[in-house]
Amino acid sequence: MKKLLAILLTGILAVGITACGNSAETASAKSEGYRTLDEIKESGTINIGVFSDKNPFGYVDENGTYQGYDVYFAERIGEDLGVEVNFVSTEAANRIEYLQTGKVDIILANFTVTDERKEEVDFALPYMNVALGVVSREDNEITSLDNWNKDDSIIVISGTTAETYLIENYPDIPLQKFDSYATAKEAFENGTSVAWENDNTEVIAFSLQNEGYTVGIPSLGSNDTIAPAVTKGNATLLDWINNEIEGLAAEKFFHADYEATLTDTYGSDYEESLVVEGGKTN
Amino acid sequence: MNWEFIEKYLPMYREAAVLTVVIGSIGIAFAILIGLICAMVLYHKVPVAKHIVNGYVELSRNTPLLAQLFFLYYGFPKIGINLNAELCGVAGLAFLGGSYMSEAFRSGLEAVDKIQEESALSLGMTKYQVMKYVVLPEAISISIPAFIANIIFLLKETSVFSAISLMDLMFTAKDLIGLYYKTTESLFLLVIFYLLIILPVSVIGSLVERRLRYAGFGN
Repeated sequence: MKKLLAILLTGILAVGITACGNSAETASAKSEGYRTLDEIKESGTINIGVFSDKNPFGYVDENGTYQGYDVYFAERIGEDLGVEVNFVSTEAANRIEYLQTGKVDIILANFTVTDERKEEVDFALPYMNVALGVVSREDNEITSLDNWNKDDSIIVISGTTAETYLIENYPDIPLQKFDSYATAKEAFENGTSVAWENDNTEVIAFSLQNEGYTVGIPSLGSNDTIAPAVTKGNATLLDWINNEIEGLAAEKFFHADYEATLTDTYGSDYEESLVVEGGKTN
Repeated sequence: MNWEFIEKYLPMYREAAVLTVVIGSIGIAFAILIGLICAMVLYHKVPVAKHIVNGYVELSRNTPLLAQLFFLYYGFPKIGINLNAELCGVAGLAFLGGSYMSEAFRSGLEAVDKIQEESALSLGMTKYQVMKYVVLPEAISISIPAFIANIIFLLKETSVFSAISLMDLMFTAKDLIGLYYKTTESLFLLVIFYLLIILPVSVIGSLVERRLRYAGFGN
């Protein structure tokens, strides 16, 4: 028994030491974990992290090609850089990880800018506005999060601003967490929870695409923006993206992007409120 | 390593560990039951039933747990069967584990020498007594190593529960990484908690194994 205990403790200690070692090394690893603008150009491909299941912002269509508002911009980046774009499918919760470990050069996965995230990655200029919203069934419309019935849960996606917002402001509401948009949608349609909280763009799209749903709370929390993100410290790439976004304002690129990818879902009603041109929010 | 973070989220991990252990144990208990029944059916070559069991074993062993859980949690509501996530977890583990346990018991039963059964019968024991006092104890003793390995395998399989929104250890770690970006700490806790759950099983398992190795002649 003594021997077993010794083995057990050694095991735990070894894990602990390795883990400690890692955190001490992260600082240096992080600065080497990205590719500079020149390195990307030289290699001929840029890795861009996008969603594969968030229609109409980043998704894979029936032919297996990436489509959507974020993807449209990603393709333009590749074109103007003169490199191939390699799309990398991400989940909400691992967007920061992907940048920090150098799996992608840019995250263009509908990434909301927050102060906490700014400490981990560098955001470029914004290209879209966003707030949170809550969608529910028409026959049981949720118009407020106050006086919540404790037996009901809200669906959120792990690692999103929607989750953080509820944890901070409504800690008593039970959350049903999912790790992908696809599974969250499926569970919501199956009636697992009474409501689904997410970016309002996303929930509005859902209610427009599916019968019997309504967005009872169209705007919640602060008005945020969505921007491309690069690994912390990757200044050359960040500057290039910022110049690109400013430069694209002249041709109203993001309006064209909206018209190409979002009109089918939203019509033109949301064009002015959603699109941010040249990185300038009002 | 941020120890404050670890201290703060330790209760969350403890809760997740409880969920992993509870769903794991109930699922495994059912898996053992299903396994025993299926192994008996196969051993006695019960007509019709043995084909059903064979079909079940192949279906369950050759599909991943993740696919089975998706079927239960996202597919079944489409035909009007609504199970909550916990129940799906238990059912998934029982479905997957049942076939593995069945194979473990069956190989144990088949490893018991025919002469044992024949001797017991010639002593005047009934078929039921032979099974209960001679064949089954020996078979179980032979299948203990496979049986323990299956339990550990099933406990580890619980890590795919995140796909059906169960806050198990794996999902808790992923969730905390997504929320607070403390990767090292979250993963450190994850490994520690899995070790805390599974190491004892493996240690107790090897003790039991040593104590029960008396099947067959000459031991």
